[in-house]
Amino acid sequence: MKISLNWIWNYVALDEPVEELTRAITFLGFEVEHVSVTGAPALEKVVVGQVLTRDKHPNADKLSVCTVDIGPAGGVKTIVCGAQNYKVGDRVPVALPGAVLPGDFTIKQSKIRGQLSDGMMCSAKELGMGADQGGLLILEGQPQLGTPINEVLPPGDTVFDVEITPNRPDCLSHLGLARELSAWFRRGLCYPPEKFLGDLTGAPTSTLFNGVQVDQPSDCPLYTAHVVAGVKVGPSPAWMQERLRAVGLRPINNIVDVGNYVMLEYGQPLHAFDAKKIAGGRLVVRHAFEGEKITTLDNKERTLSSKTLVIADSEKPLVVAGVMGGLNSGVDETTTTIVLECAIFKASSVRWTSRSLGLSSDSSYRYERGVDPHTALEAARRAVDLIIETAGGTVVGPLAIVGGDVPWEREITVTSTFVEERLGFPVPAPEMRASLEALELRIARENPVGQAGVEWVVSVPSWRNDLDRPIDLVEEILRIYGTERIPAARVEAIGTSAEDDPLVVFNRRAVSYLVGHDFHECVNLTLRPGAEITTWVSNTAAAELALANPFVEDQSHLRPTLVMGLLDTLLLNQSRGVAAGRLCEAGRIFVEYNGHNYEGASVAFVIAEDPSRHWRRREPSDFYTVKHHLAAVAAAAGVDLEGEPAEPVSGPGFGWQEGHSVGVAAKDNSWIARFGLVNLAMLRARGIEGSVLAGTFTIRPELLGQAAARRRFRDFSLFPSALRDLALVVDSSARAGEVEGSVAEAAAAAAGSQFSVESVKVFDVYQGKGLPEGKKSLAFSLVFRSPSRTLTDDEVNGVLVAIQERIEKTTAYQIRK
Amino acid sequence: MEMQEQLSSLLSKASAELQPIRTRPELESLKARYVGPNGEFTALMKQMGSVAKELRPAMGKLINESKAKLQALLDERLRFVEEAELAAKLGPAIDPTLPSPDPGPGTFHPLTLVREEVCRVLRKVGFVVADGPEVETEFYCFDALNTPPEHPARDPQDTFYFPPAARFGNVSRHTPGERYLLRTHTSSVQVRTMLKGQPPIRIVSPGRVYRRDTSDASHSANFHQVECLYVDKNVTVRDLKALLDYLFEALMGPGTKTRFRPHYFGYTEPSFEVDLSAKHLPKVNKEWIEIGGCGIVDPEVFKSVGYDPEVWSGYAFGMGIERLAMTLYGIDDIRVFYQNDLRLLRQFTGSI
Repeated sequence: MKISLNWIWNYVALDEPVEELTRAITFLGFEVEHVSVTGAPALEKVVVGQVLTRDKHPNADKLSVCTVDIGPAGGVKTIVCGAQNYKVGDRVPVALPGAVLPGDFTIKQSKIRGQLSDGMMCSAKELGMGADQGGLLILEGQPQLGTPINEVLPPGDTVFDVEITPNRPDCLSHLGLARELSAWFRRGLCYPPEKFLGDLTGAPTSTLFNGVQVDQPSDCPLYTAHVVAGVKVGPSPAWMQERLRAVGLRPINNIVDVGNYVMLEYGQPLHAFDAKKIAGGRLVVRHAFEGEKITTLDNKERTLSSKTLVIADSEKPLVVAGVMGGLNSGVDETTTTIVLECAIFKASSVRWTSRSLGLSSDSSYRYERGVDPHTALEAARRAVDLIIETAGGTVVGPLAIVGGDVPWEREITVTSTFVEERLGFPVPAPEMRASLEALELRIARENPVGQAGVEWVVSVPSWRNDLDRPIDLVEEILRIYGTERIPAARVEAIGTSAEDDPLVVFNRRAVSYLVGHDFHECVNLTLRPGAEITTWVSNTAAAELALANPFVEDQSHLRPTLVMGLLDTLLLNQSRGVAAGRLCEAGRIFVEYNGHNYEGASVAFVIAEDPSRHWRRREPSDFYTVKHHLAAVAAAAGVDLEGEPAEPVSGPGFGWQEGHSVGVAAKDNSWIARFGLVNLAMLRARGIEGSVLAGTFTIRPELLGQAAARRRFRDFSLFPSALRDLALVVDSSARAGEVEGSVAEAAAAAAGSQFSVESVKVFDVYQGKGLPEGKKSLAFSLVFRSPSRTLTDDEVNGVLVAIQERIEKTTAYQIRK
Repeated sequence: MEMQEQLSSLLSKASAELQPIRTRPELESLKARYVGPNGEFTALMKQMGSVAKELRPAMGKLINESKAKLQALLDERLRFVEEAELAAKLGPAIDPTLPSPDPGPGTFHPLTLVREEVCRVLRKVGFVVADGPEVETEFYCFDALNTPPEHPARDPQDTFYFPPAARFGNVSRHTPGERYLLRTHTSSVQVRTMLKGQPPIRIVSPGRVYRRDTSDASHSANFHQVECLYVDKNVTVRDLKALLDYLFEALMGPGTKTRFRPHYFGYTEPSFEVDLSAKHLPKVNKEWIEIGGCGIVDPEVFKSVGYDPEVWSGYAFGMGIERLAMTLYGIDDIRVFYQNDLRLLRQFTGSI
């Protein structure tokens, strides 16, 4: 809201510099977004002059040679002038030699195209008074010749653009902010004089207007209408226009301007009807009929719904209540009798209407935040005063007041002890009381409490709808006391013996692991385009993860995986010519399972082919690199990836390459891991060069943080181990893990209780020459050890033979000799 | 004495033959030629049988001495061969200025670094890190935080909602049929934490939040916040100011100042905006920069989580992690955080 300092001065005397006022407004709790200064600066040697003659310059088509009378300031001067907008007899500002105009422009006696010029006639812009208005500033009202120009020009103004918080609709007005400033500087507040020229005693009754009918009292708790007859519509006085312009409003005519002026003064919106345009002479506050139409003052036709509150006459809606008037009933030059509406509309009703029509106004803005019903009549009377003052006329009957004054009796009891307890530092009780009183919070009673405390019963004025509880008064006291005076202190740290959330711990561990393995952590957006999910995940997921109200099309769905974002990152870097190989991310993803969505904590990484060349080649990463890192990530969540079978990714999954990727999941999907090669077609579709390996691990957050059982030490043998190798010929589709399982089983059975099989591990996979088609060889290394003695070759060989026999008997595998 | 000469000449010959030997196989074959079963030295030893009995002790001694000498020669050459082999294996001396062909080092995202730093600073004064879902319900995001039903923050113009049919299996609703939404602040974590336990509570909740807003240099559809909540007996405005003075001095160094400007938030009373003066940081060209919001927890919030506001009091503070990171690092476009250009990421090789 724009606040004019000149205007504020009407209510409170402030001689502080602008910086000090800005600071005050800021620390009262209203952010000052901008301060602008208008009006002419102090000007020396610029006086009022009158053009006596105007002749064409002999040597220039566009210049004139004038004689100008500046009266006692120097008599008649000859001045060359290039402007065109003036005539002989006009009074204009004249800058005499020696004057310094804004921009350090010094006026000198000079010759212009051979013609002497003894000064300069000035435009508004040249005097530093804003924009060029097409020529000289013509001074109205025949000011005395030779008068210093600052005495004639309107004084400058300072305009504060202030952000008013939603709890303080009372400050959407000059009086409201003046009240705050009067409290801050402890200066008296002077309310506008109420003359109420509209005394109705003995006044005639209008023939054009006969009253108001409120059909929707819940949406309109108070409606008042004053009738003023015999008004003459015309421009409002200069001082009022100037005020309105200063705060960014365009003057229209005296009636409309008074309405705006009083709104900006009191915060109470008003509306003036031309009485003769009210069909049937009666105003009806009702809901619109579904589909009813009105053309609002902004020249747009609006279609109303049955929830829109309107002010109507017997035929048609005239005003969208609290929002904007209609073109059909406004005041114009022919208006002689006006009906002045000053009403209270329910905030939610106005908000709904404003939203549904996409139409906001100074009026709706105030109603949405709350207008004080107790100020309404005062504001109406003030407006009537100003209308009679500026447009003439007299108040006639009937005065319509429908709806009651909303009852207001609010007292808050607060003690000085409570205030100090909440503040944490001492403030003298008299200073607390003074702060409250400065804000017009009246102390109804004061009682001593306890040792040194005071209890106040505070009466809250009706415009402070935001004050309800003792704590609210603590804020008021602190505001006026000054938040800059809060004393410094040390932090009192008392541990709460709680732990960091398990999810935070998991993320920290997993990302630290990956960063320690040369991954760059990335942060990508949660919202993804729906098409991507339809194409690469599933239609079900796309349906379940959709937002009801996306803002932009390509951010319409929750992400079901972090990999998509990481691929975006790869692409971005690729397109910028930045080599990117290893990326990771930790964040929330959303998965659909059995008709429900689940929010999962996910950690993912990608490994792209390293496009940069190195002086020494390294073994490239492969599926088993990914498996290794993902197992570590899962372990950070307390999950053993080997604990569940790895299955090829099938069904709803996200773009993985068949045969080169797998998924592992808990039986109830409470954690899911997928890893391997990203689908190559998808990479191509996205324009990513080369192949990309990826791994993702996702767990429902509620599963994290289950404390693992304390580990117990297992003793180990200090005797030497015995090593044997065993090679098997198996089908090429056989999985090493399963074969290894069979070998381990056979080994354990063969060794029996004699000694232990410490480990069985694949160390070679071979396919090709020397083996039949469709077969491969898997070689295992077996480690035997006894807890109590050194094993002999014979006994170990014996067991190896037994193992081979057992494998040949119980499996389809052949021993490779 | 023939034997003696033979031994002596054999040693000289062996010594000479050993000189050019460079590899283990050469050495092995030479060794075989002398001391193998058919070796020359072996053959000489076999002649011992034909030596006269009285000469045998002297001859035996001589042979043993020669054998030791020959062995010494062989050993010496073996060491030489071994060294040569090692040198061949090691290759030429390394050039320490060549770059490592391995990738790395990895980096934490700058937002992670800032988040963890804030958490670390706060952990020192007793805060623990709390977390909660990003999909929330109206109760946790608005109702419990004393946000009036008509508040614009709830408007679908400003907040992302899910269709009424959406079900989230692991995001609990406070009342059946509540609408799901994407949380607009991490204050919902405060509500969930308070509902789970009793005071005292001292948590810091970092996390991702969502606003339905145009993306530009200073706005993003999702961004990150970090909030603190302290609930105990007799928590004061002064305590709150002390915490923020401590936090920002720890983050930005000595000489950092904060100031409170009264403001309005539904969930705190009194409420303040927090300004920061840290002119020693690059790109901070204003005396005061707005960094966050805070206040004393509104009694209504306590009521909605079942705490007695007569007994408990508390403070809350929140700020944007991006904004803090931009201030700390001198970044002026929020979008760089989500683009993950490696030229940005590589600048932040820190640890958490």
